[in-house]
Amino acid sequence: MRTPDEERALAKAARAGDQDAFAGLVRLHQRRAYPVARSIVTVHEDAEDAVQEGFVRAYQAIQRFDTTQNFGPWLNRIVANAALDIARRRKVRSTEELTDALRSPFRDPGEDAELKERLAAALAELPERARAVIVMHDVEGFTHAEIGEMLGVPGGTARSDLHHARRKLRGLLQDLRD
Amino acid sequence: MTDELNFPDAGERADSPGEPVVSLIREAYLPPDAAAWPDVYWSGLESRIMARISAEAERGWWAELVPWARVGLVAAAAIFAFAGVVNNRLAAPDDQVAYEAVNQPDLTTASDEPIAGQYIASYGDAAALSYYLSN
Repeated sequence: MRTPDEERALAKAARAGDQDAFAGLVRLHQRRAYPVARSIVTVHEDAEDAVQEGFVRAYQAIQRFDTTQNFGPWLNRIVANAALDIARRRKVRSTEELTDALRSPFRDPGEDAELKERLAAALAELPERARAVIVMHDVEGFTHAEIGEMLGVPGGTARSDLHHARRKLRGLLQDLRD
Repeated sequence: MTDELNFPDAGERADSPGEPVVSLIREAYLPPDAAAWPDVYWSGLESRIMARISAEAERGWWAELVPWARVGLVAAAAIFAFAGVVNNRLAAPDDQVAYEAVNQPDLTTASDEPIAGQYIASYGDAAALSYYLSN
């Protein structure tokens, strides 16, 4: 785990053209960037593409990064935009395919298959942004303001999206809880 | 943040889907290979990202030239067109003189033949002479 100062030093070195420093930033942030992308595009391959594209765009724009700020939210905004671009291109993909793709990680016979399948189906039923805010907030721990920045909406909208998304998810999983 | 005051954290925590569901979502959004071999998967992804970045950096200075190349091509085309117009303008009087020299009513007579030669020569124009000879 690196401190914010170490991360800032990496960002400054990366701005100066040090590719090893940028690799350090990749190592530090890829695990959090992936679920951000995955929550938007839902399909693993698309999420990987979005993460790669996001890091390349971040590298190209590193001169515009303000090193007094945290790198994570800035990067994840770029990754989220790359994921949204892919999602827009993939709109033609049928809902059935998306549901299948979401189910695939749950095909582990040793786990509670029914709960996982139901959760996957429930997540697939949520609108794109609602799914993204749940993952970004509840799983990845981003603040509403950060989520708002990433998705291009005000922080208050991200908060209210989260509230509605949770309610909808709870409703979809109600019978499993009873 | 204003919205932080409007929605106290305690209420939001109560609204949370709960740790079991969050764990399942986290698991659902793990890359398929990352569960079994996390280090292999993440270092592989890092390598692929850095390979793309290295390729990007290598062609970076070429890419910088692309917009300038476009400007250069436009400028070259404009210069070429301008040179064509200037050349055309400069050539036009010569052609006109040559044309008039050849198409003047034939005022010469047999006895005047030497004068016709003088007439053409008086213009002292090589273009007129070459036009005349070629026709």
